[in-house]
Amino acid sequence: MPWKERYTISDEKSLADDEIRWPQGARCCVGVTVDLSVAAGPDGIRAADLTTPEAEFGANQGLSALLAVLRRYELKATFAVPGVLAHIYADPVRAVVTEGHEIAAHGFKHEDVSGLERDVERERIVRTTEILAEITGRRPTGWFSLPRQGDPFAGGTISPNTMDLLLDAGYAYMGNGLADDVPHYWVTDFASRRAMLTLPYYYHFDDQFFLMFPRKGTGLEHPDALARNWKAEFDAQYKRGRHFHMTLHPRHIGWCNRLQLLDEFLSYLRGFPGLWNPTGEECARYWLATYPASTYLRLEPSIWRDYPGSLS
Amino acid sequence: MISQLDRDLAELRQVSESYAARHQFIPDFSYPPGVRIAVNFTLDFDSMLLRRLLNEPPMQLAKGEFGGRVGIWRLIELFDAHKVKATIFTPGRACELYPQALRAAVASGHEIADHMWEHRVPKEPALEEDHLGKTVAAIEEISGRRPVGTRSGHSAALLRKHGFIYRSEGSADQWPHYVVDENGGNGLVHLPFHYVIDDAMFFSFAWLGSENAAQRITDPERVFELWWAAFRQQYREGGYLNICMHPFVSGRALRVAMLDRLITRMKELPGVWFPSCEEVACWCLERFPPRAEAA
Repeated sequence: MPWKERYTISDEKSLADDEIRWPQGARCCVGVTVDLSVAAGPDGIRAADLTTPEAEFGANQGLSALLAVLRRYELKATFAVPGVLAHIYADPVRAVVTEGHEIAAHGFKHEDVSGLERDVERERIVRTTEILAEITGRRPTGWFSLPRQGDPFAGGTISPNTMDLLLDAGYAYMGNGLADDVPHYWVTDFASRRAMLTLPYYYHFDDQFFLMFPRKGTGLEHPDALARNWKAEFDAQYKRGRHFHMTLHPRHIGWCNRLQLLDEFLSYLRGFPGLWNPTGEECARYWLATYPASTYLRLEPSIWRDYPGSLS
Repeated sequence: MISQLDRDLAELRQVSESYAARHQFIPDFSYPPGVRIAVNFTLDFDSMLLRRLLNEPPMQLAKGEFGGRVGIWRLIELFDAHKVKATIFTPGRACELYPQALRAAVASGHEIADHMWEHRVPKEPALEEDHLGKTVAAIEEISGRRPVGTRSGHSAALLRKHGFIYRSEGSADQWPHYVVDENGGNGLVHLPFHYVIDDAMFFSFAWLGSENAAQRITDPERVFELWWAAFRQQYREGGYLNICMHPFVSGRALRVAMLDRLITRMKELPGVWFPSCEEVACWCLERFPPRAEAA
């Protein structure tokens, strides 16, 4: 077996806390992702997902309320937008750009691409990129594949080709990876060290898993646990000087007391000196320049072997 | 005439009694002078192996990978800072995925024990022994010692043949005890752990195929309270606690901070012992040897 294929996406050991530096001597990086998708499950956005009161709320009052909170705390976010939604909600998406936030791609319709043929997936990436570029005036540099509430796993879905195709398409980073809690490299080819920069994501900091999860009406509401997770992770990562990250959905977090909860947490963050709040694109640019894969991707020669009677 | 109901009574009673007879508890269990409770921190170093075994998608594997790249290093650092000797139950193949981390654990004096070759026990006896033998060899190569403990369903006969003395599974008793196999032989020390003291039950989405509506994701504070309550109760009893963790789960920064608080608070009480599982098993064998086994 070449390398540790189908087991390992990156090197054996992450960067230690004391290897990590942020611009201007900042102590901790704070990244905010806003997911505009309304997809319920692996099918991606269906007509039924668009014609709900929640979708309407998420595109209007929920979004405005969330933007207002981000504005109040002078935070920049990366908005993950499926091509389909950018097409439908072109004006709200432009309003997000006007506020200084980044627009990143989030699939054609935030569908599960894991079973797609390579050419089909490539075509969707190309088309999505074109749609976003046309609406925002520039090509997106980040791509997301965030989980949906109806997915069997909480990590997001990609195909074996996704990372490679995104590199081909000129993307600078993938927005959600779970193998680290700082940016890290997702290796697509061991021999050539070809790798995609991946930003950290973890579902314990993603509002959708705590707010009427797994779906409205039959879901459970745990905003208190979400807030405690945010605070506990931020405190720990600030101490370590690493990266804190949260994922928000306007249709979830924008509602009533939940928005208040976000407001209180952001108010808590404001008390800490030395926070750096880049968009995903800014974070990726900094990381690629400061921790290039050529030096910081420490791939050890594989000692992994194939054995009869064992998984390959 | 013996009815079916009578046959059921006899059969169920027989099955239950022979199962019970395999257990030997230690009602007068105690520790060396000055020790009131032993707390075993045990790490199941599945990393991405179990995810791969279940043929889960790439992001699930990456989630497991966090354990090897990040989590295990932090947990070793935490245990070292508190002078806690942990036990790492590792799949044998993890020695090929994360040799650096396992060597670091050995250098810090932590115990490396068996957690199956690739997180499964093959049904075919010859392959089962092949897997166990591979794991023993891999662990010996990395640690310089053969493992003596397991967290697995490997057959007791095979484990005894390969020099194992204990198994850390199940919760037939809250204290260490002995279990023999179906034939009354091949006894092993059992160091009990309960799913209530297992990080994955609270923090890991889609654990063992659980449905979305049954997800168990919560925050560290709630788990701190549960585990602290379990510890307090066993401390009062002079008992035992085995805290089962997975580096890809408990190695997250927010949970390492919680464990740091938990250990700090435990250490405020006198007589709390943080040995490896092997030390507890050896203490049992030495101080409370099992009854002689059936010939």
